[in-house]
Formats: sequence, C-alpha cells, structure tokens
Amino acid sequence: MKKISIYQIAAKNLLRKRTRSALTLVGIGLSAWVLASLLGFNRGYDSALKKDIDNMGFQVLLTAKGCPYEAATLMLKGGTGLRYMDETVVADILSQSEVESVTPMLMQAVFDPERGDSGAIDAYLGIDPATYPQMKSFLKFKQGGWFKDPDAHVAVLGYEAAELEQREVGDKLLIPDKNIELTVVGILERSGTQDDGTIFVPIRMLQKEFGQQGKLTAVGIKVERKADTAALENRLYELPDVQVVSMAQVKNTIMSLVATAKVMVLSIAVIAILISMLGVINTILMSVLERTQEIGIMKSMGAMPADVFRMIWTETIILCLLGGTLGLAMAFSLAKVTDLLIRRLLPYTPTGSLILISPGLMITTFTVVLGIGLISGVYPAWRAARVRPLESIRSEGD
Amino acid sequence: MAENTLALEAEHLRKVYRRGREEIVAVDDISLQVKKGEFISFIGPSGSGKSTLINLIGCLDNATSGSMRVGGEEVLSNGRGLSEAALTRIRRRVFGYIFQRFYLVPTLTLYENIVMPFAFFQKPGGAADPMEIIRFLDLEKRLKHRPGELSGGEMQRVAIARALVNKPEILLADEPTGNLDSHLGQEIGGILRTLNEKEGVTVLLVTHNPLMAALAQRTITLHDGRFV
Repeated sequence: MKKISIYQIAAKNLLRKRTRSALTLVGIGLSAWVLASLLGFNRGYDSALKKDIDNMGFQVLLTAKGCPYEAATLMLKGGTGLRYMDETVVADILSQSEVESVTPMLMQAVFDPERGDSGAIDAYLGIDPATYPQMKSFLKFKQGGWFKDPDAHVAVLGYEAAELEQREVGDKLLIPDKNIELTVVGILERSGTQDDGTIFVPIRMLQKEFGQQGKLTAVGIKVERKADTAALENRLYELPDVQVVSMAQVKNTIMSLVATAKVMVLSIAVIAILISMLGVINTILMSVLERTQEIGIMKSMGAMPADVFRMIWTETIILCLLGGTLGLAMAFSLAKVTDLLIRRLLPYTPTGSLILISPGLMITTFTVVLGIGLISGVYPAWRAARVRPLESIRSEGD
Repeated sequence: MAENTLALEAEHLRKVYRRGREEIVAVDDISLQVKKGEFISFIGPSGSGKSTLINLIGCLDNATSGSMRVGGEEVLSNGRGLSEAALTRIRRRVFGYIFQRFYLVPTLTLYENIVMPFAFFQKPGGAADPMEIIRFLDLEKRLKHRPGELSGGEMQRVAIARALVNKPEILLADEPTGNLDSHLGQEIGGILRTLNEKEGVTVLLVTHNPLMAALAQRTITLHDGRFV
C-alpha cells in the first residue's frame, strides 16, 4: 500500500501558489548569492593579496631612511629625492639567522624630455643577476632572458615598459642625459605587479655609470619559511640609517583600507538576509492562514500539533534549501561578474581571483540559509500547530 | 443497557457561548445513548444546535458542563474535559468525519487525499485497505486526478473514503449532502446506509433533508438546543 508522508504533503503544498513560492525562492537565492559572494570575497581578496605580496619574492624590504617607498619618491622628486645605503649593509643582513637570501637593488631615475608633451621620469632598477632572478623565479619571459654579467650594458624590460618604449630583444635603448646605450636582452610577460613598468639593468653597471659605487637604495630580504619575521624586523631597525618595510605591514595597511568596503558589503548581506527572512515568514504565514480550515481538518483526522508544526516547518526548510542551492549556483556561475563589479568599486584590488567559492564556504552558506529557514518557520509553524479543529468547521452552519 | 454495547453515552450536555454580554445556549441539557452499529439522524432548523451537538460528541469541542463517555473512555466528567492531545488520540481512534465542504488538499491526487490520515496516524492492525474502499466508492478510475478535476459527488466520496481509512467506530456526517444535488445526495445517503448495514459502522448524521434523515434507524429532532 502506497502512503504519503508529512514531508511529501509539505513539498506539494508549495506548488499551490507557484508564483509566490517562486518569488520567495528567488529572494532566498539572491540573499544566498550575496552571502556566498561576500564570504568568497573575504577569502579571495586575502588570498589574492597574499599571492601578490608573495610574488614580490621577498617578505622584508630594507631602504635608506627617508625613502621608504621609492616609487612615490621618484614621482614626487625625480632622481634627486633618492637616498642611499652603504653596500656593506648586505653582509650585516646576511648574518641574521632568519635570512634565507638577500638581493641588493639600486634605483636611479633620469628625466627624459622626449617623453610625452612635457617629458617624464624614466626609472632604472639595478639588480644583481646572481640573486634577483632566483628570488623572482615566478617572472616569465616573453622574449629572451636574464642577463648574467653585472657589468654589462644590457636591459630587461617589464611588459608595459617594452610596450611604452616599443622595444624588442636585440634593440638598443638610450639612457637620456647620460648617453649610455643598452641592449635589450629580455622582455617579461605581464605579471600584474609594478615589475611590468620596470627597466631592469645590471647593478654594478648602474652604480658605475651613475657614480654611485658601493651604494644601494633597497635590499630585498627573503626570510626562512618558519622564521620569526617580526623578531628579524626588530633587529634590522637597529641598523643605522635604514628603514624596514614589512610586506605583512603593507598587507595589513591594504586590508584595513578594504575593511570599510567589506563592512558595507556585509551590511548589504545582512539586510538581504533579513529581507529574505521576512519574505519567507510572510509566504508561509499567508499559506497557513489560507489553509486554516484544511489544517483543522487534518487535526480532526488525528494530526497532533507536532505533526502540523513539522509539516509547516518542512515547507520553510524546503524553500530555504532550494533557495540556497539557487544562490550557490548563482554565486558559482557569476563569480567572474561579481569579481568585475567589486574591482570597479574598490580603489585597489590584487591581481588574482577576488571571489573564491570553496566547498567549506558552500557548507557555511548552506548552514546559514538553513538557519534562516529554521528560524523563519518557527512562528508560522507555531500558529498552524495552534489551529483548533473546530475553527475550521465553525463556518459549516448549524 | 450493558456498557459494552454502547458506542457513546452523554449526560446533561450543555454548551454555552458568550457573544459580548449575551449568553447563547447552543446545547441545553442533552442526554443521549448511541448503540454500536446504530444509525441516528439529527434534524432541525438552522440554529437548533445540531452541529454544536455533533462537534461535542465528536470531541471537536468541549462542553460547558455534563459528562460523556466514548468507546468506554471518559472524555468529559462534570464539565471537565480532556486536553487537546488526549482528545486528538480519541478522535484518531474512534471517529471519522464528513463535512458539508470536502476540504480536500488541492495539490494532492485523489489517492493521496484518501491516504493522507496515514501521514499522521495509522490504527495499529486496524486500518482499512484504501483500495478496497476506493473500489467500494467506485473511484478507482480517477486515482491520479486532483480535486479540481472531480465532480462534487466524487469529491464527497473521496472525503468519505478519507474518513474510512482508519476504520472509525463512529462516522460523523454533518450535512454531507448540503453541497450536492438531490441525485448525488441520495447516492451519498445510500453509501452511508451500506456502511452502517454491511460494515457495522455507527453513523451519526446531521441533515436538513427529511429524506436523508429517513435513512436512519432513529431520528432525533432538535429545537433551541434541546431534543423535541
């Protein structure tokens, strides 16, 4: 004998007012989408930012005091604003037990009157071919490769620098004002970092040509995997006339800037969830009120208050589970669109994927949506459970 | 009369409603004994207390005062009734209900409507075979149809089938033909009579219709909440 269960009755009840059920379902789906995207954004943004910072190749940057952010200094003061450290600092850094490797760097800038309408600053980054390529092993070449000789008059161009200079491997490049000719030996692929706009040259050649022998503007420090970076930073601060820039600090600064945007998005998610909760309560309560007589008849047939409560609660949970599935499907399939929207809204975004929808996140979203269903269903289910059989038949006349 | 031959026994039942300051006595000092297998019809004008009485008898409402025993179990003693849960347990074991309106669930098929009581309760070892009832009520060709696709007579037959699946000891029928034409009314009346005669089901029928009332072995007329 085929029977019907309370759960089947509940599921079929949702088909009674299809449009109303569908609209409620879409409402839950939208709030689940917002929630999943927000959680995915929180995780994705952190992960992409970490990846960007890891792609810098070093966790700590040492610069001469007064010049913590060399790119900014160049923009404001040109080459004159640069400050230098003595090359001997490299040995001091290497003596620290937490340090895995270091790479010295010298930044020089030259005003190019031929660039644009009123000229612009060309920046050259002198690097050590023995250490820098190892530290930045993720950089890929579009053409050519790294130079090997630290004294050679050669250059490697970042992707955008090559586009701007319109140079290919084998072409010549002239440093304005100095009349020094460099041969392009490599062009990098796009990395999405500041390396794209950099002209890399051998450090010793740059020191010699610009009269800065034995001078550096920065030292990149790669820290041992399990080392205490904070302790290392504290000891580096004791070195004379240097500034320590921790990538963890940079990350924290960016994260605190983005925190405001996250709070805004979180507020929108909370409002969306509250609206969908009210939608669910309204739909189920309306359905209960419309079915008062039917529920009364069920009770006259022997349905206990707990049976009726379970039936109505099941309806709410089915709506929320379907809505949650819809929302997760939307979050998953529209992650790229959401990514683009967020990139338009935020002042700075890392290069990787901003929305990461993981299985754990899907479970969290589902749990929250199910929680909404459980809470939203309580009042309508309680109202239904209290219906007395007599209420349904009082209108029968006498 | 030996107690085990009684399906139901009520003494001095009284039901008073309040409407503002006014007191309305819907059932006034009614005493009644119903034998197992009996078919009784209650007849009387609108407002005479027929439906209120059948609601009290069917444990759908508590009387203001009086006593009542159903199937040997005391459900009302000097106006003190049982809890809603206890009344539900008695309802699901003893009674089957048929109303003027059919109250079928529109999203369920005819078959699903008939077996719906099993979702809440199935009398242990005592439930009927739904297909047997369906054949008896000539509904087997429309099992997958929904209520909206059925005629009034078919819908009432579905409601009767639903009331019978848990093999009730007492079938309460409150104006079951009120929404049907005379031909269909006679058909439903015939079904009630057959259930009583062949299956031994105790039937208590509320009706306005003297022809329907005449199907019963005993007819009780009510006026102003009292037996006439």
